[in-house]
Amino acid sequence: MIYKKDANFPYPVLTNTSNSYASSQFILDVELHENVHHYQFDFNYEIDSEFMNNLLKNRQAIPILIIQSKDNKFFKLDLSQRSIKLLKSRISISSRTSIQLHIQSIEDISFRRNEDLSIFYEKFKDEIVVPKHSILGYSNVVMFEGSTTKPLELFEKKLNPDLKSAIKIELSHETIVIQYRNEEFQFNNLPKSNTLNNPYVYTGMHMALQRFIVNNGEDNESVDLLEIDPPANPLDLKLYHLMRKKMVEELSIDTIDEVIYAISDRMIEKYTSVVKGLISSGN
Amino acid sequence: MEIRLLEKGYKNNEQFYKDFLEDQLQVKEEYFSNEVVHLDKTPDFPIYIAQGSETERKELFLEAIRILTDYYLDTDRDIHLNELFWHSLLVTKREYLLENYPKINEGINHFNNIVLKKFDWENYIYKCVLGAQYINDFVTDPEQRERYYSLLVDNLDIYNYIIKYEIFRNDRFLINILDIIDELDLSKILKSKIKNRDDLGKDERVGRRVIFEFNKSYPVIMSPMLEKDELKPIFLKYLSYYYDSTEVLEEV
Repeated sequence: MIYKKDANFPYPVLTNTSNSYASSQFILDVELHENVHHYQFDFNYEIDSEFMNNLLKNRQAIPILIIQSKDNKFFKLDLSQRSIKLLKSRISISSRTSIQLHIQSIEDISFRRNEDLSIFYEKFKDEIVVPKHSILGYSNVVMFEGSTTKPLELFEKKLNPDLKSAIKIELSHETIVIQYRNEEFQFNNLPKSNTLNNPYVYTGMHMALQRFIVNNGEDNESVDLLEIDPPANPLDLKLYHLMRKKMVEELSIDTIDEVIYAISDRMIEKYTSVVKGLISSGN
Repeated sequence: MEIRLLEKGYKNNEQFYKDFLEDQLQVKEEYFSNEVVHLDKTPDFPIYIAQGSETERKELFLEAIRILTDYYLDTDRDIHLNELFWHSLLVTKREYLLENYPKINEGINHFNNIVLKKFDWENYIYKCVLGAQYINDFVTDPEQRERYYSLLVDNLDIYNYIIKYEIFRNDRFLINILDIIDELDLSKILKSKIKNRDDLGKDERVGRRVIFEFNKSYPVIMSPMLEKDELKPIFLKYLSYYYDSTEVLEEV
């Protein structure tokens, strides 16, 4: 369970809001990344109580990361661990997800030598012994409210009867524009017309990524996404954020299709299943 | 296979119910949003397990858990823990539902209670999805999985109580509790009513009360994160509050 408000404990607990400790803090910071199959939570935390850090170092206490969405997941952490990877089939972040770090005692802990407590405890801290399995501190709560990456928002559809070809794909300042000469080419009269347009989306994505390499790579061959600054061009910037979010580290002429697979949500699989569905339903 | 997700407004909607009975839902576009979910296969499985003998119900539960495990749990969790997805799927299974749950014909209340049941710990699909997930993520051996499925169904009362409390809705804790029950043969005791405790409610069961004690003591005792061996003595202590467990304790 995650503590969002102060709770009463029969002994001093390290939190960012209680007065039990003189000035200590327990700050958690989390970054969320995702690819087709996984969510990855990269985190960092800082505890500035020497007493608590020593307990952790001596394995008298352990950090436990709690990820709460529809249910709770607990991860007992190694001291150096700063990342947790989870299958998308096992965690939902579309509804609110809260993350907090707890410190749990794994043996009885005497507070006699705890110099970080507030002055209030000075006289009787010798008598405080926190039993094993208890909470010793908890961090701030980090929240995620749904995934923000919707690759299709990169696109615009337009009807243009003057077109000299059936469709035309262009890159505008901010979006990938798919122009259709005829409304029929959009399949608007069929169910799942959006999905049926996925091959055009794919082509548009391919074009945009090629230009991304030209705009941002040094040799027109590849771009190291970990090295470059966020691009100034708005469309490139969207693609950059999308790729970084999906943990793509490098984009090159040879890997464009792999990158599309990583940053799009099973575009071709969905297309295939819609077409199959239409065939089998006799449409 | 593609499931079209329903548009809001289908709940408690007499017309929706009638259209379901008359097999008109799928042709009425107004009931559906533009969102779809893709699954390779969507086999039927028991969705409402309230009738029949204990043995019959156990079989139905096991069937549901197995089918959910094989065909539904690899979807993103955003899908298989989403009420809208399940309701959208169930209304495509008209024939199966009417055949297996003929009460649906009798009125919209039965339809609501069986097909459009709220997706929480009282919903049979929810129970089976979480149970199947917790067990499968923790146990890989097929025989052991079956053993845990069976333990889960044999201890439904305490399982319901566990998933009702948010802090205990967690794989490790469930597996630990099932193991402890199995090792000490506590199933019967935990299901039994508490005697000679007029201060408690009328239908108090031993098992529910033990979980209640865990809830009360959290987080001074961080029970969901404990290893089984750490959890066991605490479990027995709480059991002793409600049951004369000297016999059980001697075995430990």
